[in-house]
Amino acid sequence: MNILTLLIFTPILFALIIWVMPSAWRGSFKYLTLAATLVQLGIGVWIYLHFKTGVGFAGINQEGQYQFVQKLPWINLNLGGISRMQIDYFVGIDGISIAMVVMTSLVMVIAALSSWEIKSNLKGFFILFLILDMAVIGVFCALDFFLFYLFYELMLLPLYFLIGMWGGVRREYAAIKFFLYTLFGSVFMLLVMIGLYLSVKDPVTGNHTFNMVYMMNPANYIPGSVFAAISHYQLFGMSARVLGFIILFIAFAIKVPVVPLHTWLPDAHVEAPTPVSIILAGILLKIGGYGIIRICMGIFPDIATSGAFWLGLLGIISIIYGALNALAQRDLKRMIAYSSVSHMGFVLLGIASQTPEGISGAMMQMVSHGFLSAMLFFLVGVIYNRVHDRDIYNFRGLSELMPRYTVFVMIAFFASLGLPGFSAFIAEAFSLAGAFKSYTFNGLLPQWLSAFGVLGILLSAAYLLWTLQRMFFGKELLKGGETWKLALVDLNARETITLLPLALLTLALGVMPSLVLGKINDSVLALVDITKHIITP
Amino acid sequence: MRDLLTYLPGRMDDTLSSLHYFMPEIYLGILFLLVLITGLVYKRNTGGMCRLIAIAGMVFVLAQDAIQSYFPVNTTMPLFSRMLMLHHTGVLFKLVIDVIALLILLYFAWDRQLKAHRKGLADLYAITIASVFGLHLMVMAVNLLSIYLAIEFVSLASYLMVAYKSEQGLSAGAGLRYVLFGAAASGVMLYGISLLYGFSGSMDLFDPAFINGLSQVNTLSVSFALVLVFAGLGFKLSFIPMHFWVPDVYQGAATPVTAYLSTLPKIAAFALLINFITPFVFISRWNGFDFRLFLSVIGLITMIGGNFAAIMQQNVKRMLAYSSIGHTGFALMAIVSFSTEGISSLIFYLAVYAVANLGALILASYFANITGAENMEGYRGLGFKLPAASISFVVILISLTGLPVTAGFIGKVLVFQSVYNIYQQQPDVLLLLLLATGALTTVVSLFYYIKIPLYLFLRKSDNNREYVISSQVLMISAVVIAVFLVFIGLFPNYLTKFL
Repeated sequence: MNILTLLIFTPILFALIIWVMPSAWRGSFKYLTLAATLVQLGIGVWIYLHFKTGVGFAGINQEGQYQFVQKLPWINLNLGGISRMQIDYFVGIDGISIAMVVMTSLVMVIAALSSWEIKSNLKGFFILFLILDMAVIGVFCALDFFLFYLFYELMLLPLYFLIGMWGGVRREYAAIKFFLYTLFGSVFMLLVMIGLYLSVKDPVTGNHTFNMVYMMNPANYIPGSVFAAISHYQLFGMSARVLGFIILFIAFAIKVPVVPLHTWLPDAHVEAPTPVSIILAGILLKIGGYGIIRICMGIFPDIATSGAFWLGLLGIISIIYGALNALAQRDLKRMIAYSSVSHMGFVLLGIASQTPEGISGAMMQMVSHGFLSAMLFFLVGVIYNRVHDRDIYNFRGLSELMPRYTVFVMIAFFASLGLPGFSAFIAEAFSLAGAFKSYTFNGLLPQWLSAFGVLGILLSAAYLLWTLQRMFFGKELLKGGETWKLALVDLNARETITLLPLALLTLALGVMPSLVLGKINDSVLALVDITKHIITP
Repeated sequence: MRDLLTYLPGRMDDTLSSLHYFMPEIYLGILFLLVLITGLVYKRNTGGMCRLIAIAGMVFVLAQDAIQSYFPVNTTMPLFSRMLMLHHTGVLFKLVIDVIALLILLYFAWDRQLKAHRKGLADLYAITIASVFGLHLMVMAVNLLSIYLAIEFVSLASYLMVAYKSEQGLSAGAGLRYVLFGAAASGVMLYGISLLYGFSGSMDLFDPAFINGLSQVNTLSVSFALVLVFAGLGFKLSFIPMHFWVPDVYQGAATPVTAYLSTLPKIAAFALLINFITPFVFISRWNGFDFRLFLSVIGLITMIGGNFAAIMQQNVKRMLAYSSIGHTGFALMAIVSFSTEGISSLIFYLAVYAVANLGALILASYFANITGAENMEGYRGLGFKLPAASISFVVILISLTGLPVTAGFIGKVLVFQSVYNIYQQQPDVLLLLLLATGALTTVVSLFYYIKIPLYLFLRKSDNNREYVISSQVLMISAVVIAVFLVFIGLFPNYLTKFL
């Protein structure tokens, strides 16, 4: 049994167990879900420890360098055309995926722990939760584009129901908006995927193939096909490769989300129940970033280079616009949602720089933001569950009422605003360093652009510190008066156990960034290498 | 007279040898008579008896189809002095039609409205069998005469089926409307056919003289005649602008009849469309009339119109009617590719669509049987009371939308793939437009399909009525269909190996 396959399908196994169990045992569902995520975390840690590093294990466009690979023929269709349709069950990981996989399996445990707040319809919730769990892990491990797409789309339906059935007041609107937005991006991605499939031949069998690794090698493209770099194909008066890149980028940019495609995010994050918010912010946004790195850059390095300025510009716009919006919010959860937009902008900026520092920074930011946003949304959930309100102006002086809670909030806030010693500092520093270096390294990004990134850090300090001051310091004053005061008890044991590892991890990554960087370094260098050796037509 | 005598033995031989390739149809003919006579002879419980015979008979017909499916792939066999033509694609179409027909025959008696019918269902079974005979002829017709006869054959049967529960006003109105429009459409088609015959002097589509004759006539006149023929075909395919009858008739007819109308005549009409354009497009490359342009534009309009109109609907059957128009547009895309690959993907797409649509209508029946709900509003909160049916509904709708991991997604990918492949060989911006529209309307279709899960699961209802569920057979069949769709979505090889 392949360890990745086990990792992907463990949740489904538990979902089946929950499905056959009678509803009378509903109390045990959350423990089973927690067990599933813990098993996953165990496997994830095992993979992390056994993950080999070195130039020979860089991955990216070398199929042989991927680790824990499993490749099985899956769908083989012959429709009377010239060649057969070849789809493999093909999973494997390299440095880019390992960081995401481990981060995901940890955030899933946190999400499972925060599912304690779900009270209604438990069977449905936990089954959907576990299907979603399978799909996200699958996305990070799939190396066949078709398989990737299956997992990618498979996330949508569970999320629609998770937001729509257990969400807040405007849950219907938020759920359908999320679903339509993402589907809009992904159906066009389907067209590009089919185009790539018909442009690429498996060098061994001669069939068309969905293998992503083959798609990264220009030698596998059929001369004259739509997406072959040398054929200069025009679609709607535009270079086919540029159009393909743009479509894929839009699909992933919706997920990241990049301004102006972000408007689904505040709604979905705010309306979703806490565990789903954690999954959305902690993991789903990273699928966008991962897709841009693995697919947009891996398959279209030439376009990624020529369009780097625009990517960088979009990244900066996201950083600034997200931060300004966060500054204007009254709803704590909405503020955090916008801060996600801002922080994910650094990912795009780092990717656009196409320097080893920048891409490492982007990867680090994804991992760090995965932990931090999980922590932030969990913290909002804590206060919302107690008084069903999260308007910043309705609270004051919480630090005296809930001292332990305040400590965790401070850790999360200071870590998020990039205080040295925490993971986000390393991530943002690397992204910005990469962006600045890009001017001399490959001349892709002008320096003024990177300078705006620094402004983003400043703004994030502003909204986080201001919130901290308004809600936690000063004289105690609550909108709900005495009833709220009684309801607002400090963190219980489960909540502390949930938050503690996150706080420790973000600290650990800040002090020892090599925990992540060491694993991803070879892949990042290989990625930068392919963008430098593109065929210039 | 003497001339005729020398001519006769050859004719006889031709007819006799054709009979060998006509076995499924002969079986259908016998079956029709059997069901009809049983309906007349038995007085009590005729419905049940006819049903048993009809279903058992269809199994035999299917066995005959299966024997025919060993017919070699790239050969054609003209039958009855070139009135009909047997080919591998046709056999596949017949297989799909008969499987769906079998399911619909099973389904008739499960619908409460239809079952409560005063006359009983015996006649309905006979009519359905007769119409399946007509559908078989449509699939094989290659002569203008046989095309017209086959279409009328099916039309007559469908008129009767639509008006079957005629005591209700809606059904009678729908039936009348259907007959009127249908008669007008077939009149228009007949006019087109007579023009074509006048221009070419031949009725046989595959006769070289037919195309030669047409190519010597003014292109505009030929195009006019062709458009008239397409109008008649379009009535069966229900593409825009020949779709206007669809919403009312689908809504007004009994639900199993809607299931019949939205699947079988449509599939057969696609087969007929392939037969009709083959001599023009595949054989002669005559370019007096741009079939690709014509069908692409129709396909584009149909996809957009059908899907956008479906958004506004509140009645479940009406929404499915509009969505089936949208599916016609999408399937036309596969035809436009004009390739064997495209036709294979078309068959896959239609088969999967038909099964899913049947499933959706079965569930509409199920909910109507239990709660009397026809509108989505009535589905409020039912997801928690009838979980198995509701979850199957979600899966079936996801397949109709074309999202993974369902058979509908594979169908969509195959159609996209075949069109793309042709685009790579003959760049034509129309094909790209079709692809883009196909993708866009997928998003639109999600918007209305998801309304059903929205009402089932997201909206809560205040009433705590306990529903009496008399029969679970509809729910079980819907679950089976949902499982089938997911299974084919995961392992499409099990279906495509027949193509």
